[in-house]
Amino acid sequence: MIKVEGLTKRYGNLVALRDVSFEVAEGEVVGLLGPNGAGKTTAMRVLTGYLPATAGHVTIAGHALDREATAARRAVGYLPEVPPLYPEMRVADYVRYVAALNDVPRRERARKVEHALEVCGLEEVPGRVIRTLSKGFRQRVGLAQALVHDPPVLVLDEPTSGLDPVQISEIRALILSLSEERGRTIILSTHLLPEVEAICQRVMILAYGQMRLDSPLSEVHEQGTLEQVFLQKVEAAGAALGGGEARA
Amino acid sequence: MRHIPAIAGREIRSIFATPVAYVIFSAYAVFAGFIFFASLGLFLTQLQQIQALGMLHLLEQWNLNDVVIAPAFFTFAIVFLILVPLLTMRAFAEERATGSIELLLTSPVSVWEIVIGKYLAVLVVVALLVVMTALYPGLLFLYGNPEVAQTLSGLLSLFCYGAGLAAMGCFVSALTQNQIIAAAVGIVAALLLLVLPAAAEGGENERVSELLRYLGTSTHYEQGLRGQLRSEDLAYFGAMVLIFLSLARAAIDSLRWR
Repeated sequence: MIKVEGLTKRYGNLVALRDVSFEVAEGEVVGLLGPNGAGKTTAMRVLTGYLPATAGHVTIAGHALDREATAARRAVGYLPEVPPLYPEMRVADYVRYVAALNDVPRRERARKVEHALEVCGLEEVPGRVIRTLSKGFRQRVGLAQALVHDPPVLVLDEPTSGLDPVQISEIRALILSLSEERGRTIILSTHLLPEVEAICQRVMILAYGQMRLDSPLSEVHEQGTLEQVFLQKVEAAGAALGGGEARA
Repeated sequence: MRHIPAIAGREIRSIFATPVAYVIFSAYAVFAGFIFFASLGLFLTQLQQIQALGMLHLLEQWNLNDVVIAPAFFTFAIVFLILVPLLTMRAFAEERATGSIELLLTSPVSVWEIVIGKYLAVLVVVALLVVMTALYPGLLFLYGNPEVAQTLSGLLSLFCYGAGLAAMGCFVSALTQNQIIAAAVGIVAALLLLVLPAAAEGGENERVSELLRYLGTSTHYEQGLRGQLRSEDLAYFGAMVLIFLSLARAAIDSLRWR
């Protein structure tokens, strides 16, 4: 469903991603782990077509991002680290607007908006102005906009960042339900190890712009705890690169 | 281009969801009304003086368009110079500051659709301001006999000028995340374009002077006020819109490359 080959992203002399390759199969939920500045957000932004790759290829749902950008973007629902909301809009109006941007046919729009609101637990607040919602509810609105056009792939950048423990638990349950609902492929970035263990089947560790681990969670646990493996991989990456030459 | 109505519609609703639009409309209504009725008062006073002095032959050279409407419209243009950048300041700067631009740029929407959608929304507001302006000379038609063609030409000039400023404002807004900077730069740029022909006066190099005169917005705007809006004036404002929207598109596109 997602295929990334030799992905490199440079900002001037700074290498944010260095020759990253991986594949995510249909229905898989994959966690992209890494310390701050590892290149997770850059990877997410390249996957969603927000940033162009310096080198390498990305294919989403069979569409090459560099040649069929529109089709590839249509196949992705994206929740950036800061949900891209318009605070003055009402919840349902906002989700309806995103549905229009994603070419949901007019006759299906009301039904799909209703479904997205229901799945994300927003059916009680469709008329609320977004700025009056709590942070957890805003995150839900962000998720609703990401899935309103029913994309086969969801890309979630630190979806529980800044939430309290109750909200984190709710959003994690929501992400799991999104995966189970239609067998969606989900790739989520986070620096919270328990998040990966709670939601994902597979883990990828990105450090200093390089992919240091890509393995099913069960295999990771054979090497130690996720925390031990994570620290080991990050330290090894730092040592190999002389302490941060490629830090994003 | 199918996403333009959705983008423009959201933008218009957003403009009217903030107090800025209402402040702009109220301020313009009060200021334009004051200017217009002050011009009319001056006209009536001078008319009474001419009649009192018996200099009736002067009345043949007097008309409402030249003495009231055209000068008032010129003042309106100066007000537009401030109001239109205030309208456009948030177009892209706000999206960049809040991060919602990421939503647009990761949707299956072209950058042209985003730019045109946002521009059309501002253009609708500019058109409403012009309609509001039309009410003042409209009152004169109830009591006097101004020239219809010259009045319409003035209104069309005002709209074209506003359309040009809106395109320039959208471009400036696309360059920054700060709405205040976008408004300030937009106002200064509009002012510079307005006074460019004055800078051409007294210049030794006639070609440069001619170029400065041509580039100035007032050169083309004043033609319309005199009821002589030419095709080259329309082409000037059309080119202004096209150039600044193309620059806005390039500025938004360049966000991907930073």
